Amino acid sequence: MQLSKRKLLEMYKKMVTIREFEQSLSEAVAGGTLPGFVHLGIGQEAVHVGVAYALRPTDWVSSTHRDHGMLIARGADIKRMRAEIFGKVTGYCKGKGGSMHLAVYDKGAPGCNGILGPSQTINNGIALALKKRGQGDIAVVLFGDGAAHRGEFHEALNLASCWKLPALAICVNNQYAISVCVDDACAIEDIAARSTGYGIPGLVVDGNDVMAVYEAITETAKSIREGKGPALLELKTRRFKGHFEGDPQSYKTPEEVAEEMQNDPIPTFAKQLLEREITTEKVLKTIVDDVKKELQAAIEFAEQSDYPPLEEIYTDLFYEERRAV
Amino acid sequence: MREITYAEAIREALRHEMTLDDNVFVFGEDVGAFGGCFGVTAGLYDKFGPERVMDTPISEAAIMGAALGAALMGLRPVPEIMFVDFTTVCFDYLTNQAPKVRYMCGGQVAKLPLVVRTTTGGWIRAAGQHSQSLEGWFTQVPGLKVVMPATPHDAKGLLTASLRDNNPVLYIEHKVLYQMPGPVPTEEYLIPLGQAEVKKEGADVTLISYSLMLNKTLKAAEQLAGEGINAEVVDLRTLSPLDHDTLARSVQKTHKAVVIQEAVEMGGVAAQVVKSLVDSSFDYLDAPIKTVAAGNTVIPFSPPLEDAMLPSVEKIIAAVKAIVS
Amino acid sequence: MKPVGIIANPASGKDIRRLVAYGSVFDNNEKVNIVRRVVLGLDAMGVKDIFFMPDYFGIGVRAMEDLNVAVKAHFLEMKIENAPDDSARAAGILSQLGAACIVTLGGDGTNRVVAKTCGATPLLPISTGTNNVFPTMVEGTLAGMAAGVTALNSSPRPEFIRQVPRLVLRHGTEIVDIALIDVVVSKPGFIASRAIWDIATLQEIFLCRAEPGSIGFSSVGGHMSHLSSADGKGLHIIIGPGPYEVKAPIAPGLIREVPVKSFRLFSPGEAIPLSHTPAMIALDGERERIEGKKNRVIIEIEVEGPWVVDIPRTLRYAAEQRLFLNPKQLRR
Repeated sequence: MQLSKRKLLEMYKKMVTIREFEQSLSEAVAGGTLPGFVHLGIGQEAVHVGVAYALRPTDWVSSTHRDHGMLIARGADIKRMRAEIFGKVTGYCKGKGGSMHLAVYDKGAPGCNGILGPSQTINNGIALALKKRGQGDIAVVLFGDGAAHRGEFHEALNLASCWKLPALAICVNNQYAISVCVDDACAIEDIAARSTGYGIPGLVVDGNDVMAVYEAITETAKSIREGKGPALLELKTRRFKGHFEGDPQSYKTPEEVAEEMQNDPIPTFAKQLLEREITTEKVLKTIVDDVKKELQAAIEFAEQSDYPPLEEIYTDLFYEERRAV
Repeated sequence: MREITYAEAIREALRHEMTLDDNVFVFGEDVGAFGGCFGVTAGLYDKFGPERVMDTPISEAAIMGAALGAALMGLRPVPEIMFVDFTTVCFDYLTNQAPKVRYMCGGQVAKLPLVVRTTTGGWIRAAGQHSQSLEGWFTQVPGLKVVMPATPHDAKGLLTASLRDNNPVLYIEHKVLYQMPGPVPTEEYLIPLGQAEVKKEGADVTLISYSLMLNKTLKAAEQLAGEGINAEVVDLRTLSPLDHDTLARSVQKTHKAVVIQEAVEMGGVAAQVVKSLVDSSFDYLDAPIKTVAAGNTVIPFSPPLEDAMLPSVEKIIAAVKAIVS
Repeated sequence: MKPVGIIANPASGKDIRRLVAYGSVFDNNEKVNIVRRVVLGLDAMGVKDIFFMPDYFGIGVRAMEDLNVAVKAHFLEMKIENAPDDSARAAGILSQLGAACIVTLGGDGTNRVVAKTCGATPLLPISTGTNNVFPTMVEGTLAGMAAGVTALNSSPRPEFIRQVPRLVLRHGTEIVDIALIDVVVSKPGFIASRAIWDIATLQEIFLCRAEPGSIGFSSVGGHMSHLSSADGKGLHIIIGPGPYEVKAPIAPGLIREVPVKSFRLFSPGEAIPLSHTPAMIALDGERERIEGKKNRVIIEIEVEGPWVVDIPRTLRYAAEQRLFLNPKQLRR
């Protein structure tokens, strides 16, 4: 697990980019300019970057409504992401999907599914195709603690195990499904423990430590690529904001919120990098400044982009009625 | 021309497509060595092996999810859902998932070759949850095509066309038709989706139907001919999209119409056909449009009750005589 | 009759060795069963009070459910943070309460943490972790009975408890951490998944026991120079290309050829500095701390480590004292 200094700093920059991107959406909601709903992943950057950097570009990663960061970590252009979130034609989905259906297929990211559960079964189909291709690529799906109780969780893991698919199921347990705490919704403490019911390995990982995530995913992916079959990982983490931006989190006490924010993955990683003398405070600050500039360009790009023309209401429904972007 | 059964015609289309393209594969419950619960896939396992004809656990959500994921990756899966009554447990994939994915990602996905085969209909004494006709529900899903062949000839041509359509298609076979023989060309041919067919020409009234009921309608037409009523019989073949032009042409010629479906009256395709005719041909109608459908109730087990509840040749004749003197 | 403490660590499935090696899952439900058997053993010996460390799984709570015993269960009043520190705090409280001994369920990692704060209170470690050099494979009922025997007397008897050595890590004169079995030093990296399975970055190993019959890095020493916990010496091994390659089971299912440049025994009082800094330090099988270039890090062995209940000797003592011969007498 020896990552170069350049790679480590790239990871840090990605985490900061995700944080700033999400923060700017929070500001847009507060300012009343963001249409619809966004579900911010602030606090979960270690999950996004740790997973992305442990995988190959040819692996596939499906994710959730809280995972703008996963797409950013996989290399999506924040200009086009912001444009999509604001419903502009320059967005990845021509403005027709929005935050809740944001996908970047050429980065192997089917993105967010608006229904919880199907992403887990669909991931098996992707894994099946990758298995047939025989390049050792794997299909990864992220889902939350809430989605782990949908029937698809069971059906997907059982089938993946029976067919020995190269699938990696990652439950991102941030302890809350909207307002319901996982203690009240889940019969057991560790969702990863359900892996034994499917005869597959299961592991609980500290989702607030990007290197712990990176290491666990790398090792798990290695095993899956070797044809050993699927695995279930549980990354324990916290979301610092509400379920959707605007949710005041009345279900958490102020003490709990303060405690959660102590485990911020970005300063944790910065501290690790400084302790190991991999970088300096000055370099880290330059990275933050660069990110802020790039984000500003994305904000302007989205603002200046147009909405899609009305004809787009009826295109892309059938193959014969596609329209090039 | 040689005659084969409806089931053999379907199998022939499948086998032909699987021979032409390695990416086509069939999977579902008992479709493998067992040959499928209705024997449709018999012999495919022996010819193509377990990699292309796959048995699954009883997991419709997993089956449909895997099918969608595989189709996203350029494979051509043909999942089987044993009874259309079971589409309820994987309903999400036929409504929120497959039909919407291309639209919501703004066309990043182009081809989505996903043909879901299932079986419909009563008269087999399987009662309320194994005998239904549910096509009406699916015609209200934009992005999904619904196909229901009535004859072995159409079964082969429509299935080949569906398999090449690059869109999600729900291909609904009728259980009672599996053993029905009919003339079927040996070579490959496609019947365009969205195209109805005049199965019998006439001048006095247009009878519009599909699937098993189309065959009962032809029998009714034969009896009516003996009584001097010359009915034109139109087979819808594809329920969504509807072929408005063929319907308009026929009714504008005959000035009278009866629409026959096996499904429960409320919310079915017949009502949509009536709307189409009202829109296109109101001024040509000499009588109200009649519909023949199952009563708005659950299909009972007891044989005389089932037979009385489902539409019959007698009911079709009665409906015609109500508007044709 | 003194009280007895039980610390059962519910952390399950977090060890990456389950994935990269063939480490087993130790099911928390199995721990509940073991604790039940311990409680029944304690109850049979007439112990009046058991103090449990509380935990998120409720191992103690579940163990006591529907158990028909006379012994009373108490749960320590402490905040649970689901961190190793919980066990350390619990051990400190149990020691203050005057527990006769602390029964632990866990591996080397759990016991290492407990050993920091248990003072002179003896430990009775039941093996349930992945690396189990320190605790013993012992049936819960016998463990409970042995613990009950230690509670019968007002002071522990030398017949059945013994002191084992420990390794200490110092910055200058200050002890910053301890290890009960091994200190494994590697090239600097990240703590990440904590376990060690990659030998390419190993630099040196310090052991306070080295038995060929152990899993983990102490087996590296065990095949070169057998060192029992009674010997009172440590073993210092420098890793690198050299005269030896030891085929050692460093984790369950993971056997590796470890290159050994040199090794030597060392005695209490010898302060050994780390060969290289910066370095990553793993204590008892888990990566624990980074030592920077400026830290002057010393390793020493101390013979006065934690006290441990010797179960076979305890039960033999009980037999000699005929404690089990007239059970009615015990209930007074």
